[in-house]
Amino acid sequence: MRHHLSVFLSIGWLLLVFGMSIVVPMISDTNPRQPVSEPLLSPAQHPPLGTDALGRDVWTRIVHGGRISPGASLVATIITVLVGGIAGLIASSMGGWLDRVIVWLSNSFLAIPGLLLAMLLVAAMGPRLLTVILAVGFGAAPGFVRLSRTVFLQIREQNYVTASIALGANRSWIASHHILPNTKNQLLSLATTHYAWAFMGTTTLTFLGLAGDPSIPEWGVMLNAGRAHIIDAPWLALLPGCAISLTILAVHRLGAWLSEME
Amino acid sequence: MVSNSDRPSNGALATVSRRVIEGVLTAWAAVSLTFFALRLIAGDPVASLLSQGLASPDQVENLRRSLGLDAPLLIQYLKFLSGLFRGDLGTSLYTSRPVGTVIAEQLPATAQLALTGLGFALLIGLTLGVISAWKEETSLGQFAASTAGLATALPVAFTGILGLILYRQILGVMPILGHDVVRRLILPASLLGFASAGAIARVVQASLKETMKGPYILAARARGIGHGFRLLWHALRPALPPVVSLTALEAAFLFAGTVVTETVFSRPGLGRLLVTSILQGDYPIAQGLVALAAMFYTTSHMLADILAFTIDPRLRRVT
Repeated sequence: MRHHLSVFLSIGWLLLVFGMSIVVPMISDTNPRQPVSEPLLSPAQHPPLGTDALGRDVWTRIVHGGRISPGASLVATIITVLVGGIAGLIASSMGGWLDRVIVWLSNSFLAIPGLLLAMLLVAAMGPRLLTVILAVGFGAAPGFVRLSRTVFLQIREQNYVTASIALGANRSWIASHHILPNTKNQLLSLATTHYAWAFMGTTTLTFLGLAGDPSIPEWGVMLNAGRAHIIDAPWLALLPGCAISLTILAVHRLGAWLSEME
Repeated sequence: MVSNSDRPSNGALATVSRRVIEGVLTAWAAVSLTFFALRLIAGDPVASLLSQGLASPDQVENLRRSLGLDAPLLIQYLKFLSGLFRGDLGTSLYTSRPVGTVIAEQLPATAQLALTGLGFALLIGLTLGVISAWKEETSLGQFAASTAGLATALPVAFTGILGLILYRQILGVMPILGHDVVRRLILPASLLGFASAGAIARVVQASLKETMKGPYILAARARGIGHGFRLLWHALRPALPPVVSLTALEAAFLFAGTVVTETVFSRPGLGRLLVTSILQGDYPIAQGLVALAAMFYTTSHMLADILAFTIDPRLRRVT
Protein backbone atom coordinates (compact mmCIF):
# COMPACT_ATOMS: atom_id res chain seq x y z
CA MET A 1 0.00 0.00 0.00
CA ARG A 2 2.90 2.32 0.82
CA HIS A 3 4.11 1.40 -2.62
CA HIS A 4 1.00 2.71 -4.26
CA LEU A 5 0.79 5.87 -2.21
CA SER A 6 3.90 7.23 -3.96
CA VAL A 7 2.44 6.30 -7.35
CA PHE A 8 -0.83 8.14 -6.50
CA LEU A 9 1.14 11.16 -5.29
CA SER A 10 3.20 11.16 -8.51
CA ILE A 11 0.17 10.98 -10.77
CA GLY A 12 -1.52 13.59 -8.57
CA TRP A 13 1.40 16.00 -8.91
CA LEU A 14 1.57 15.64 -12.68
CA LEU A 15 -2.20 16.11 -13.05
CA LEU A 16 -2.07 19.13 -10.74
CA VAL A 17 0.72 20.77 -12.74
CA PHE A 18 -0.92 20.15 -16.07
CA GLY A 19 -4.45 20.95 -14.86
CA MET A 20 -3.42 24.24 -13.24
CA SER A 21 -1.52 25.32 -16.34
CA ILE A 22 -4.75 24.95 -18.34
CA VAL A 23 -7.32 26.17 -15.82
CA VAL A 24 -5.53 29.18 -14.29
CA PRO A 25 -4.85 31.05 -17.57
CA MET A 26 -8.60 30.69 -18.33
CA ILE A 27 -9.77 32.32 -15.11
CA SER A 28 -6.96 34.83 -14.57
CA ASP A 29 -5.72 37.28 -17.18
CA THR A 30 -2.38 38.15 -15.49
CA ASN A 31 0.28 38.21 -18.19
CA PRO A 32 3.30 36.10 -17.12
CA ARG A 33 5.61 38.27 -19.24
CA GLN A 34 4.46 41.68 -17.99
CA PRO A 35 5.31 43.38 -14.67
CA VAL A 36 2.34 43.65 -12.32
CA SER A 37 3.91 45.33 -9.31
CA GLU A 38 7.16 46.38 -7.62
CA PRO A 39 10.13 44.03 -8.23
CA LEU A 40 11.26 41.43 -5.65
CA LEU A 41 8.20 41.57 -3.40
CA SER A 42 8.11 38.71 -0.90
CA PRO A 43 5.21 36.20 -0.97
CA ALA A 44 3.78 38.04 2.08
CA GLN A 45 3.78 41.42 0.32
CA HIS A 46 2.35 40.13 -2.95
CA PRO A 47 0.45 36.88 -2.41
CA PRO A 48 0.66 34.08 -3.17
CA LEU A 49 4.30 33.84 -4.32
CA GLY A 50 5.64 37.39 -4.64
CA THR A 51 7.23 39.03 -7.69
CA ASP A 52 10.51 38.50 -9.55
CA ALA A 53 13.34 40.92 -10.35
CA LEU A 54 11.24 42.57 -13.08
CA GLY A 55 8.07 42.76 -10.99
CA ARG A 56 6.32 39.88 -12.74
CA ASP A 57 3.91 37.67 -10.77
CA VAL A 58 5.82 34.51 -9.75
CA TRP A 59 2.65 32.45 -9.19
CA THR A 60 1.42 33.15 -12.73
CA ARG A 61 4.83 32.36 -14.19
CA ILE A 62 5.14 29.06 -12.28
CA VAL A 63 1.64 27.99 -13.31
CA HIS A 64 2.13 28.91 -16.97
CA GLY A 65 5.47 27.07 -16.82
CA GLY A 66 3.54 23.89 -16.03
CA ARG A 67 2.70 23.69 -19.71
CA ILE A 68 6.01 24.73 -21.26
CA SER A 69 8.71 22.40 -19.93
CA PRO A 70 6.45 19.33 -19.49
CA GLY A 71 4.92 19.92 -22.93
CA ALA A 72 8.28 20.53 -24.57
CA SER A 73 9.65 17.33 -23.03
CA LEU A 74 6.60 15.42 -24.24
CA VAL A 75 7.21 16.55 -27.83
CA ALA A 76 10.92 15.73 -27.46
CA THR A 77 10.10 12.26 -26.12
CA ILE A 78 7.73 11.60 -29.02
CA ILE A 79 10.53 12.54 -31.44
CA THR A 80 12.97 10.25 -29.62
CA VAL A 81 10.58 7.30 -29.52
CA LEU A 82 9.51 7.67 -33.16
CA VAL A 83 12.98 8.22 -34.63
CA GLY A 84 14.81 5.82 -32.31
CA GLY A 85 12.05 3.21 -32.30
CA ILE A 86 11.67 3.13 -36.08
CA ALA A 87 15.45 2.87 -36.56
CA GLY A 88 15.58 0.13 -33.91
CA LEU A 89 12.71 -1.74 -35.55
CA ILE A 90 14.33 -1.51 -38.99
CA ALA A 91 17.70 -2.65 -37.58
CA SER A 92 16.21 -5.58 -35.69
CA SER A 93 13.91 -6.84 -38.44
CA MET A 94 16.22 -6.36 -41.43
CA GLY A 95 19.41 -7.61 -39.79
CA GLY A 96 22.51 -7.91 -41.98
CA TRP A 97 24.47 -4.86 -43.13
CA LEU A 98 21.63 -2.40 -42.45
CA ASP A 99 21.52 -3.55 -38.82
CA ARG A 100 25.28 -3.15 -38.51
CA VAL A 101 25.24 0.33 -40.07
CA ILE A 102 22.42 1.54 -37.79
CA VAL A 103 24.10 0.11 -34.68
CA TRP A 104 27.46 1.58 -35.66
CA LEU A 105 25.93 5.00 -36.37
CA SER A 106 24.05 5.11 -33.07
CA ASN A 107 27.12 3.94 -31.15
CA SER A 108 29.16 6.72 -32.74
CA PHE A 109 26.57 9.29 -31.72
CA LEU A 110 26.61 7.79 -28.22
CA ALA A 111 30.30 8.71 -27.98
CA ILE A 112 29.04 12.27 -27.48
CA PRO A 113 27.27 12.64 -24.11
CA GLY A 114 23.54 13.29 -24.68
CA LEU A 115 23.57 16.77 -23.20
CA LEU A 116 26.54 17.84 -25.36
CA LEU A 117 24.95 16.34 -28.47
CA ALA A 118 21.80 18.34 -27.72
CA MET A 119 23.91 21.48 -27.21
CA LEU A 120 25.65 20.85 -30.52
CA LEU A 121 22.27 20.66 -32.25
CA VAL A 122 21.21 23.92 -30.58
CA ALA A 123 24.48 25.44 -31.80
CA ALA A 124 23.57 24.34 -35.32
CA MET A 125 19.98 25.60 -35.24
CA GLY A 126 20.35 28.70 -33.09
CA PRO A 127 19.15 29.17 -29.48
CA ARG A 128 15.33 29.05 -29.38
CA LEU A 129 12.80 26.96 -27.42
CA LEU A 130 11.86 25.03 -30.57
CA THR A 131 15.46 24.07 -31.27
CA VAL A 132 15.87 22.99 -27.63
CA ILE A 133 12.92 20.61 -28.10
CA LEU A 134 14.31 19.22 -31.37
CA ALA A 135 17.81 18.94 -29.91
CA VAL A 136 16.65 17.05 -26.83
CA GLY A 137 14.45 14.77 -28.96
CA PHE A 138 17.06 13.93 -31.60
CA GLY A 139 19.91 13.97 -29.06
CA ALA A 140 18.36 11.07 -27.15
CA ALA A 141 17.39 9.10 -30.27
CA PRO A 142 20.71 7.14 -30.66
CA GLY A 143 20.35 5.75 -27.13
CA PHE A 144 16.76 4.80 -27.84
CA VAL A 145 17.80 2.95 -31.01
CA ARG A 146 20.03 0.69 -28.94
CA LEU A 147 17.45 0.10 -26.19
CA SER A 148 14.50 -0.54 -28.50
CA ARG A 149 16.55 -2.79 -30.78
CA THR A 150 17.41 -5.02 -27.80
CA VAL A 151 13.73 -5.13 -26.78
CA PHE A 152 12.63 -5.98 -30.35
CA LEU A 153 15.30 -8.65 -30.75
CA GLN A 154 14.14 -10.43 -27.59
CA ILE A 155 10.75 -11.02 -29.20
CA ARG A 156 12.18 -11.74 -32.64
CA GLU A 157 14.21 -14.62 -31.26
CA GLN A 158 11.17 -16.31 -29.70
CA ASN A 159 10.16 -19.67 -31.11
CA TYR A 160 6.73 -18.54 -32.31
CA VAL A 161 8.32 -15.88 -34.48
CA THR A 162 10.64 -18.47 -36.02
CA ALA A 163 7.56 -20.64 -36.59
CA SER A 164 5.79 -17.70 -38.22
CA ILE A 165 8.76 -17.12 -40.54
CA ALA A 166 8.69 -20.84 -41.42
CA LEU A 167 5.02 -20.43 -42.33
CA GLY A 168 5.97 -17.73 -44.79
CA ALA A 169 5.36 -14.48 -42.88
CA ASN A 170 7.32 -11.53 -44.22
CA ARG A 171 9.19 -8.91 -42.18
CA SER A 172 6.51 -6.25 -42.04
CA TRP A 173 3.86 -8.79 -40.98
CA ILE A 174 6.11 -10.01 -38.17
CA ALA A 175 6.87 -6.46 -37.10
CA SER A 176 3.22 -5.43 -36.98
CA HIS A 177 1.70 -8.69 -35.67
CA HIS A 178 4.33 -10.07 -33.32
CA ILE A 179 6.99 -7.56 -32.40
CA LEU A 180 5.08 -4.31 -31.83
CA PRO A 181 2.08 -5.79 -29.92
CA ASN A 182 4.37 -7.79 -27.64
CA THR A 183 6.76 -4.95 -26.87
CA LYS A 184 4.35 -2.04 -26.45
CA ASN A 185 4.36 -2.22 -22.63
CA GLN A 186 8.13 -2.31 -22.49
CA LEU A 187 8.30 0.56 -24.99
CA LEU A 188 5.89 2.57 -22.85
CA SER A 189 8.03 2.14 -19.76
CA LEU A 190 11.18 2.98 -21.77
CA ALA A 191 9.43 6.08 -23.09
CA THR A 192 8.45 7.11 -19.56
CA THR A 193 12.06 6.80 -18.40
CA HIS A 194 13.07 8.81 -21.45
CA TYR A 195 10.53 11.48 -20.59
CA ALA A 196 12.33 12.04 -17.29
CA TRP A 197 15.60 12.43 -19.19
CA ALA A 198 13.99 14.75 -21.74
CA PHE A 199 12.55 16.88 -18.95
CA MET A 200 15.91 17.10 -17.22
CA GLY A 201 17.57 17.90 -20.58
CA THR A 202 15.04 20.57 -21.56
CA THR A 203 15.18 22.39 -18.24
CA THR A 204 18.99 22.14 -18.20
CA LEU A 205 19.30 23.67 -21.67
CA THR A 206 16.83 26.44 -20.88
CA PHE A 207 18.64 26.98 -17.57
CA LEU A 208 21.82 27.54 -19.59
CA GLY A 209 19.98 30.26 -21.54
CA LEU A 210 19.73 28.23 -24.76
CA ALA A 211 16.00 28.96 -25.13
CA GLY A 212 17.12 32.43 -26.17
CA ASP A 213 14.17 34.44 -24.87
CA PRO A 214 14.65 35.23 -21.14
CA SER A 215 11.05 36.39 -20.68
CA ILE A 216 9.30 33.02 -21.27
CA PRO A 217 7.71 31.62 -18.09
CA GLU A 218 9.73 28.40 -18.24
CA TRP A 219 11.02 26.72 -15.07
CA GLY A 220 14.66 26.36 -16.21
CA VAL A 221 14.75 30.00 -17.32
CA MET A 222 13.22 31.06 -13.98
CA LEU A 223 15.73 28.94 -12.03
CA ASN A 224 18.57 30.70 -13.82
CA ALA A 225 17.05 34.14 -13.24
CA GLY A 226 16.66 33.31 -9.54
CA ARG A 227 20.39 32.66 -9.25
CA ALA A 228 21.10 36.38 -8.90
CA HIS A 229 18.80 36.68 -5.86
CA ILE A 230 19.60 33.69 -3.66
CA ILE A 231 20.26 36.00 -0.70
CA ASP A 232 17.48 38.58 -0.93
CA ALA A 233 14.78 36.45 -2.59
CA PRO A 234 15.72 32.74 -2.44
CA TRP A 235 12.19 31.63 -3.35
CA LEU A 236 12.75 32.87 -6.90
CA ALA A 237 15.15 29.96 -7.46
CA LEU A 238 13.68 27.49 -4.95
CA LEU A 239 10.13 27.43 -6.38
CA PRO A 240 10.97 26.54 -10.01
CA GLY A 241 13.77 24.26 -8.76
CA CYS A 242 11.32 22.33 -6.58
CA ALA A 243 8.79 22.17 -9.42
CA ILE A 244 11.43 20.69 -11.75
CA SER A 245 12.69 18.20 -9.15
CA LEU A 246 9.20 17.04 -8.09
CA THR A 247 8.22 16.49 -11.72
CA ILE A 248 11.36 14.42 -12.41
CA LEU A 249 10.83 12.37 -9.23
CA ALA A 250 7.16 11.78 -10.13
CA VAL A 251 8.02 10.61 -13.65
CA HIS A 252 10.80 8.36 -12.30
CA ARG A 253 8.32 6.79 -9.87
CA LEU A 254 5.80 6.24 -12.68
CA GLY A 255 8.48 4.66 -14.88
CA ALA A 256 9.53 2.30 -12.09
CA TRP A 257 5.88 1.40 -11.46
CA LEU A 258 5.28 0.70 -15.16
CA SER A 259 8.30 -1.59 -15.39
CA GLU A 260 7.19 -3.43 -12.20
CA MET A 261 3.83 -4.12 -13.83
CA GLU A 262 5.35 -6.03 -16.74
CA MET B 1 31.85 -8.74 -28.20
CA VAL B 2 29.39 -11.54 -27.70
CA SER B 3 29.67 -13.04 -31.15
CA ASN B 4 32.94 -14.90 -30.80
CA SER B 5 32.99 -15.39 -27.06
CA ASP B 6 33.79 -19.09 -27.31
CA ARG B 7 36.85 -18.57 -29.45
CA PRO B 8 40.03 -18.46 -27.33
CA SER B 9 41.95 -15.22 -27.88
CA ASN B 10 45.67 -15.04 -28.42
CA GLY B 11 46.57 -13.10 -25.31
CA ALA B 12 46.06 -9.81 -23.62
CA LEU B 13 47.98 -7.78 -26.20
CA ALA B 14 45.63 -8.75 -29.01
CA THR B 15 42.62 -7.89 -26.85
CA VAL B 16 44.03 -4.50 -25.95
CA SER B 17 45.10 -3.60 -29.48
CA ARG B 18 41.70 -4.59 -30.86
CA ARG B 19 40.08 -2.39 -28.25
CA VAL B 20 42.36 0.53 -29.19
CA ILE B 21 41.52 0.23 -32.91
CA GLU B 22 37.81 0.08 -32.04
CA GLY B 23 38.20 3.20 -29.87
CA VAL B 24 40.00 5.16 -32.59
CA LEU B 25 37.29 4.23 -35.12
CA THR B 26 34.50 5.34 -32.77
CA ALA B 27 36.28 8.62 -32.04
CA TRP B 28 36.71 9.25 -35.78
CA ALA B 29 33.04 8.52 -36.42
CA ALA B 30 31.91 10.79 -33.60
CA VAL B 31 34.13 13.65 -34.72
CA SER B 32 32.90 13.29 -38.33
CA LEU B 33 29.27 13.24 -37.20
CA THR B 34 29.94 16.42 -35.21
CA PHE B 35 31.32 18.09 -38.31
CA PHE B 36 28.54 17.02 -40.67
CA ALA B 37 25.73 17.59 -38.16
CA LEU B 38 26.84 21.20 -37.69
CA ARG B 39 27.34 21.90 -41.40
CA LEU B 40 24.25 20.19 -42.76
CA ILE B 41 21.83 21.56 -40.15
CA ALA B 42 23.35 24.99 -39.67
CA GLY B 43 23.92 25.62 -43.35
CA ASP B 44 26.17 28.66 -43.51
CA PRO B 45 27.84 29.28 -40.13
CA VAL B 46 28.76 32.87 -40.89
CA ALA B 47 25.25 33.83 -42.05
CA SER B 48 24.34 34.58 -38.43
CA LEU B 49 27.01 37.30 -38.35
CA LEU B 50 25.33 38.92 -41.32
CA SER B 51 21.85 38.62 -39.85
CA GLN B 52 22.98 40.06 -36.51
CA GLY B 53 24.38 43.04 -38.39
CA LEU B 54 27.86 42.34 -37.05
CA ALA B 55 29.44 42.31 -40.49
CA SER B 56 28.78 43.71 -43.94
CA PRO B 57 28.15 41.33 -46.88
CA ASP B 58 31.68 42.04 -48.15
CA GLN B 59 33.24 41.21 -44.80
CA VAL B 60 31.19 38.00 -44.58
CA GLU B 61 32.38 37.04 -48.06
CA ASN B 62 36.00 37.64 -47.03
CA LEU B 63 35.53 35.72 -43.78
CA ARG B 64 33.99 32.84 -45.69
CA ARG B 65 36.98 32.73 -48.00
CA SER B 66 39.52 32.96 -45.17
CA LEU B 67 37.74 30.16 -43.27
CA GLY B 68 37.70 28.02 -46.40
CA LEU B 69 33.90 27.86 -46.37
CA ASP B 70 33.69 28.47 -50.13
CA ALA B 71 35.37 25.09 -50.76
CA PRO B 72 33.26 21.92 -51.27
CA LEU B 73 32.09 20.22 -48.07
CA LEU B 74 34.34 17.19 -48.57
CA ILE B 75 37.46 19.36 -48.90
CA GLN B 76 36.42 21.27 -45.76
CA TYR B 77 35.98 17.96 -43.94
CA LEU B 78 39.42 16.69 -44.96
CA LYS B 79 40.93 20.01 -43.89
CA PHE B 80 39.14 19.74 -40.53
CA LEU B 81 40.42 16.18 -40.00
CA SER B 82 44.00 16.99 -40.94
CA GLY B 83 43.85 20.07 -38.71
CA LEU B 84 42.61 17.91 -35.86
CA PHE B 85 45.64 15.61 -36.25
CA ARG B 86 47.96 18.60 -36.09
CA GLY B 87 46.09 20.00 -33.08
CA ASP B 88 44.70 22.87 -35.16
CA LEU B 89 40.99 23.38 -34.53
CA GLY B 90 40.56 26.58 -36.53
CA THR B 91 40.02 30.12 -35.27
CA SER B 92 37.22 31.76 -33.30
CA LEU B 93 34.80 33.79 -35.41
CA TYR B 94 34.64 36.57 -32.84
CA THR B 95 38.15 36.95 -31.48
CA SER B 96 40.10 35.39 -34.40
CA ARG B 97 42.20 33.54 -31.82
CA PRO B 98 43.10 29.87 -32.40
CA VAL B 99 40.41 27.58 -30.94
CA GLY B 100 43.12 25.31 -29.48
CA THR B 101 44.57 28.19 -27.46
CA VAL B 102 41.16 29.33 -26.21
CA ILE B 103 40.34 25.78 -25.10
CA ALA B 104 43.77 25.23 -23.50
CA GLU B 105 43.28 28.38 -21.40
CA GLN B 106 40.00 27.13 -19.95
CA LEU B 107 40.96 23.46 -19.65
CA PRO B 108 42.74 23.52 -16.24
CA ALA B 109 39.74 25.02 -14.43
CA THR B 110 37.38 22.37 -15.84
CA ALA B 111 39.85 19.51 -15.34
CA GLN B 112 40.24 20.50 -11.69
CA LEU B 113 36.48 20.64 -11.19
CA ALA B 114 35.78 17.40 -13.07
CA LEU B 115 38.57 15.39 -11.39
CA THR B 116 37.59 16.54 -7.90
CA GLY B 117 33.99 15.81 -8.86
CA LEU B 118 34.93 12.31 -10.00
CA GLY B 119 36.68 11.74 -6.66
CA PHE B 120 33.50 12.77 -4.84
CA ALA B 121 31.36 10.64 -7.16
CA LEU B 122 33.43 7.52 -6.39
CA LEU B 123 33.58 8.27 -2.67
CA ILE B 124 29.84 8.91 -2.32
CA GLY B 125 28.85 6.20 -4.83
CA LEU B 126 30.96 3.41 -3.29
CA THR B 127 29.85 4.36 0.23
CA LEU B 128 26.15 4.44 -0.65
CA GLY B 129 26.41 1.28 -2.76
CA VAL B 130 28.25 -0.78 -0.13
CA ILE B 131 25.93 0.42 2.65
CA SER B 132 22.80 -0.37 0.64
CA ALA B 133 24.11 -3.88 -0.20
CA TRP B 134 25.45 -4.56 3.29
CA LYS B 135 22.52 -3.31 5.36
CA GLU B 136 19.90 -4.12 2.73
CA GLU B 137 17.18 -5.08 5.21
CA THR B 138 17.68 -2.19 7.64
CA SER B 139 16.46 1.37 7.39
CA LEU B 140 20.06 2.57 6.97
CA GLY B 141 20.37 0.48 3.81
CA GLN B 142 17.07 1.76 2.49
CA PHE B 143 18.11 5.32 3.28
CA ALA B 144 21.33 4.80 1.29
CA ALA B 145 19.37 3.32 -1.62
CA SER B 146 16.87 6.17 -1.73
CA THR B 147 19.63 8.78 -1.43
CA ALA B 148 21.23 7.18 -4.48
CA GLY B 149 17.87 7.40 -6.26
CA LEU B 150 17.53 11.08 -5.36
CA ALA B 151 21.07 11.76 -6.58
CA THR B 152 20.22 10.55 -10.09
CA ALA B 153 16.86 12.32 -10.20
CA LEU B 154 17.75 15.80 -8.97
CA PRO B 155 19.14 18.16 -11.60
CA VAL B 156 22.57 19.67 -10.89
CA ALA B 157 21.15 23.13 -11.58
CA PHE B 158 18.82 22.74 -8.58
CA THR B 159 21.14 20.91 -6.13
CA GLY B 160 23.82 23.49 -6.97
CA ILE B 161 21.59 26.44 -6.13
CA LEU B 162 20.27 24.63 -3.03
CA GLY B 163 23.88 24.02 -1.94
CA LEU B 164 24.75 27.69 -2.51
CA ILE B 165 21.75 28.87 -0.47
CA LEU B 166 22.51 26.49 2.41
CA TYR B 167 26.19 27.42 2.27
CA ARG B 168 25.38 31.14 2.50
CA GLN B 169 23.05 30.49 5.43
CA ILE B 170 25.70 28.45 7.32
CA LEU B 171 28.38 30.97 6.41
CA GLY B 172 26.23 33.70 7.91
CA VAL B 173 26.28 31.87 11.24
CA MET B 174 29.92 30.75 11.37
CA PRO B 175 32.69 31.90 9.06
CA ILE B 176 34.62 28.82 7.83
CA LEU B 177 38.38 28.94 7.55
CA GLY B 178 39.59 28.91 3.95
CA HIS B 179 36.04 29.24 2.68
CA ASP B 180 37.31 30.41 -0.68
CA VAL B 181 38.44 26.88 -1.57
CA VAL B 182 35.14 25.52 -0.27
CA ARG B 183 33.10 28.03 -2.27
CA ARG B 184 35.08 27.71 -5.49
CA LEU B 185 35.97 24.03 -5.59
CA ILE B 186 34.70 21.75 -2.81
CA LEU B 187 31.06 22.84 -2.99
CA PRO B 188 30.69 22.68 -6.80
CA ALA B 189 32.74 19.47 -7.08
CA SER B 190 30.83 17.65 -4.34
CA LEU B 191 27.47 18.56 -5.88
CA LEU B 192 28.73 17.56 -9.33
CA GLY B 193 29.98 14.28 -7.85
CA PHE B 194 26.70 13.70 -6.03
CA ALA B 195 24.85 13.75 -9.36
CA SER B 196 27.02 10.92 -10.72
CA ALA B 197 27.17 9.04 -7.41
CA GLY B 198 23.63 7.68 -7.71
CA ALA B 199 24.35 5.60 -10.82
CA ILE B 200 27.65 4.35 -9.36
CA ALA B 201 25.94 3.37 -6.09
CA ARG B 202 23.28 1.43 -7.95
CA VAL B 203 25.84 -0.53 -9.98
CA VAL B 204 28.00 -1.20 -6.89
CA GLN B 205 24.95 -2.53 -5.04
CA ALA B 206 23.72 -4.71 -7.93
CA SER B 207 27.19 -6.02 -8.69
CA LEU B 208 27.91 -6.81 -5.02
CA LYS B 209 24.62 -8.66 -4.66
CA GLU B 210 25.49 -10.70 -7.74
CA THR B 211 29.00 -11.65 -6.59
CA MET B 212 27.73 -12.43 -3.10
CA LYS B 213 25.88 -15.38 -4.66
CA GLY B 214 29.18 -16.91 -5.84
CA PRO B 215 30.34 -20.28 -4.46
CA TYR B 216 33.57 -18.78 -3.11
CA ILE B 217 31.51 -16.50 -0.88
CA LEU B 218 29.71 -19.55 0.49
CA ALA B 219 33.13 -21.19 1.01
CA ALA B 220 34.32 -18.09 2.86
CA ARG B 221 31.23 -18.24 5.00
CA ALA B 222 31.91 -21.92 5.76
CA ARG B 223 35.39 -20.92 6.92
CA GLY B 224 33.72 -18.70 9.50
CA ILE B 225 34.43 -15.33 7.85
CA GLY B 226 32.00 -12.60 8.92
CA HIS B 227 29.45 -10.93 6.64
CA GLY B 228 31.14 -7.52 6.46
CA PHE B 229 34.57 -8.97 5.75
CA ARG B 230 33.18 -11.30 3.05
CA LEU B 231 31.49 -8.35 1.41
CA LEU B 232 34.45 -5.97 1.47
CA TRP B 233 37.30 -8.43 0.92
CA HIS B 234 35.91 -11.32 -1.11
CA ALA B 235 33.08 -9.77 -3.06
CA LEU B 236 34.13 -6.19 -3.73
CA ARG B 237 37.03 -6.86 -6.10
CA PRO B 238 35.16 -9.16 -8.48
CA ALA B 239 32.28 -6.69 -8.29
CA LEU B 240 34.44 -3.81 -9.49
CA PRO B 241 34.73 -4.23 -13.33
CA PRO B 242 31.18 -2.97 -14.06
CA VAL B 243 31.82 -0.12 -11.64
CA VAL B 244 35.00 0.83 -13.49
CA SER B 245 33.25 0.88 -16.87
CA LEU B 246 30.43 2.96 -15.44
CA THR B 247 32.90 5.37 -13.86
CA ALA B 248 34.45 5.92 -17.28
CA LEU B 249 30.99 6.71 -18.68
CA GLU B 250 30.34 9.00 -15.75
CA ALA B 251 33.68 10.75 -16.33
CA ALA B 252 32.38 11.87 -19.70
CA PHE B 253 29.01 12.85 -18.22
CA LEU B 254 30.85 14.78 -15.53
CA PHE B 255 32.31 16.83 -18.33
CA ALA B 256 28.78 17.57 -19.51
CA GLY B 257 27.80 18.23 -15.90
CA THR B 258 30.53 20.84 -15.53
CA VAL B 259 28.64 22.92 -18.11
CA VAL B 260 25.82 23.35 -15.59
CA THR B 261 28.02 23.52 -12.49
CA GLU B 262 30.17 26.26 -13.97
CA THR B 263 27.07 28.29 -14.76
CA VAL B 264 25.59 27.81 -11.27
CA PHE B 265 28.79 28.74 -9.46
CA SER B 266 29.93 31.33 -12.04
CA ARG B 267 33.20 29.44 -12.51
CA PRO B 268 35.26 29.92 -15.65
CA GLY B 269 35.92 26.83 -17.75
CA LEU B 270 35.10 24.82 -20.87
CA GLY B 271 31.41 24.59 -19.98
CA ARG B 272 31.00 28.37 -19.84
CA LEU B 273 33.01 28.59 -23.05
CA LEU B 274 30.67 26.15 -24.80
CA VAL B 275 27.53 28.01 -23.69
CA THR B 276 28.86 31.42 -24.71
CA SER B 277 30.14 30.12 -28.04
CA ILE B 278 26.70 28.65 -28.81
CA LEU B 279 24.91 31.84 -27.81
CA GLN B 280 27.28 33.89 -29.97
CA GLY B 281 27.11 31.46 -32.89
CA ASP B 282 30.88 30.92 -32.71
CA TYR B 283 30.72 27.50 -34.36
CA PRO B 284 34.47 26.64 -34.56
CA ILE B 285 34.71 26.74 -30.75
CA ALA B 286 31.52 24.70 -30.21
CA GLN B 287 32.63 22.18 -32.82
CA GLY B 288 36.12 21.89 -31.33
CA LEU B 289 34.77 21.41 -27.81
CA VAL B 290 32.29 18.71 -28.77
CA ALA B 291 34.90 16.90 -30.92
CA LEU B 292 37.27 17.01 -27.96
CA ALA B 293 34.57 15.69 -25.63
CA ALA B 294 33.90 12.80 -28.01
CA MET B 295 37.59 11.91 -28.17
CA PHE B 296 37.86 12.19 -24.39
CA TYR B 297 34.84 9.94 -23.96
CA THR B 298 36.12 7.20 -26.28
CA THR B 299 39.58 7.34 -24.68
CA SER B 300 38.24 7.07 -21.15
CA HIS B 301 35.91 4.26 -22.18
CA MET B 302 38.79 2.42 -23.83
CA LEU B 303 41.03 2.85 -20.77
CA ALA B 304 38.22 1.59 -18.56
CA ASP B 305 37.89 -1.59 -20.62
CA ILE B 306 41.63 -2.16 -20.45
CA LEU B 307 41.58 -1.48 -16.71
CA ALA B 308 38.73 -3.98 -16.33
CA PHE B 309 40.93 -6.65 -17.97
CA THR B 310 43.57 -5.89 -15.36
CA ILE B 311 41.19 -6.13 -12.41
CA ASP B 312 39.45 -9.28 -13.61
CA PRO B 313 41.78 -11.54 -15.64
CA ARG B 314 38.80 -13.73 -16.61
CA LEU B 315 37.56 -10.99 -18.96
CA ARG B 316 40.71 -11.25 -21.13
CA ARG B 317 39.54 -14.52 -22.62
CA VAL B 318 36.05 -13.54 -23.62
CA THR B 319 36.51 -10.44 -25.72
